[in-house]
Amino acid sequence: MALRELPSSLRRLALRDTRPTAAVAGRSWRRYTSAEAVAAAPQEVSEDFQDLESNTSMFTAFSPDDETKAYDPIKRTQGRRRELPPSRYQYRSPRYYRGPLHPHQPPPKSDPSSREFVPGPFSYTRLEQTYQSTIAPDLMTLTYVHKPPGTVTVPKADRLRTWDDSSPYHKGRPKRGPRGPGDTLRLIEQDINWRNIPKIEEVTVHSFIKGALDDSAHLHVAGMLLQSVTGVRPTIHKAKHTEGRWGLRKGLPVSLTCNMRGEQAYNFVDKCINLVFPRIKDWPGIEGKQWLPREIDKMLMQQGTTGDSSGNISWGFSREGAILFPEVEINYDMYPPKLIPGFHVTVKTTATSDRHARMLLSALGVPFYGKLVD
Amino acid sequence: MAPSHNSIRQMVSPLLQSFRSLSLTSQNVLPSTSRFFTSSSTMSAKSDKKKSVDPRITLIRYHLQHTATPRPLKFSRTRALRHWTIHRAWMLARRKKLEAEELELQRMYQSMHNTMEVLRTMDEKDGLGRGKEAGRLYRVALEKKGIFGQGGVPIEYARLQTDTPGREAWDHSWTR
Repeated sequence: MALRELPSSLRRLALRDTRPTAAVAGRSWRRYTSAEAVAAAPQEVSEDFQDLESNTSMFTAFSPDDETKAYDPIKRTQGRRRELPPSRYQYRSPRYYRGPLHPHQPPPKSDPSSREFVPGPFSYTRLEQTYQSTIAPDLMTLTYVHKPPGTVTVPKADRLRTWDDSSPYHKGRPKRGPRGPGDTLRLIEQDINWRNIPKIEEVTVHSFIKGALDDSAHLHVAGMLLQSVTGVRPTIHKAKHTEGRWGLRKGLPVSLTCNMRGEQAYNFVDKCINLVFPRIKDWPGIEGKQWLPREIDKMLMQQGTTGDSSGNISWGFSREGAILFPEVEINYDMYPPKLIPGFHVTVKTTATSDRHARMLLSALGVPFYGKLVD
Repeated sequence: MAPSHNSIRQMVSPLLQSFRSLSLTSQNVLPSTSRFFTSSSTMSAKSDKKKSVDPRITLIRYHLQHTATPRPLKFSRTRALRHWTIHRAWMLARRKKLEAEELELQRMYQSMHNTMEVLRTMDEKDGLGRGKEAGRLYRVALEKKGIFGQGGVPIEYARLQTDTPGREAWDHSWTR
């Protein structure tokens, strides 16, 4: 970042000056404190230091005086060909990305000076820790499929349809999707190996606030509640269409979503599993059936709730369930009780089928009941 | 719940008082004589009768709009350098950890693979020709019966790691 702070021409100069020459590189010009510590470590370690790590810096013979005396800032400054930019100068990354050919490129996202930089993660959640140390290897073992060496895998036929070259315009066209009513390409379940063990990728919390049609207070209270439960500022969604039967008008703000990733997602799932689920009254678990559109669902006499056959599992919390979250419970009086909403939770996993996602979640402790349909 | 509710009321009360004082001053500005051709007094009377907004909602609205976002960090040159160094070190450490985890999983997978190979080729090497029994261990080891069904992963399995795990792993006698 310090080099980034310089203007480009100046930076080139600085880099040229600091490039190690062959003579310097011949010597070991990198010094490691730990290596020196190991070399200079006394043979007999006193009892006070027995518990310390072997490469601790406590044994380093360090005399600050020599370095302090050798350091001459004035000489150093005068030795520079050009003046450094003032210390208060801040590099600001460009607001817009103007393409790969633009001379001004933004820094990578991981750079603290980037506009998209997000600090963290600040903790290693215990759910993630358990997952990494126990659950992931166990799932891999449970679903292991043996492929003897030399097995020939026959590549499956392409699911996308090609165009017959009856027209010259077919040449550059992308392939057509599969035939059928839902002409979307479904995900294909892969055998689990050490690289694609299913894990939690993202958690989305969604709530449709019906009362927001009349009074915005419902929306505000729900937003505050979701924010306190998830730790993420909710996004407001507006109605896309006018629907007279529900009193919906196009453009009315009606629903809220929060997206959580990484640490926050793990924490949220942990809270649901260990604090909220056990305290919901007369709750059998999450229904293990595929979600179907309501008309088909009625025909089949089912009430499907979960799974979209591409690795995402959802469930809902009623108003009573929302109250059980510790952030709400401890500050219950903050919310007008009639305006507390329920919400839906969708756990997006890296699994590509219902059964893999369900296996992951049941290993984490989510109970499923009823017939499990994939 | 009641006492904390009262405490919130107390917190809100200065806000409410400020509103009240505002409304009082506006009434004071209005002419006190009763004149029928002005509608202001009647309008204010109407607004009084309107259901007042719950102070909690007012408070929530206030806090949703006034987010206390700190200004972006501003560092001097040396401090920015220090920050950058630590950040690089943290990224390196994290990457090392992720790679180690993945390598460990790969090691497990390959050892499983080797074991299954041994099981598969065991009977051929014997040369005994066990007939039906040949490769039985291999087949049994690869069985996947019921892992995706109900109770494929037992609920007792979901015990998160803690510093102080309970002495009794799962209380089967518990009822509500």
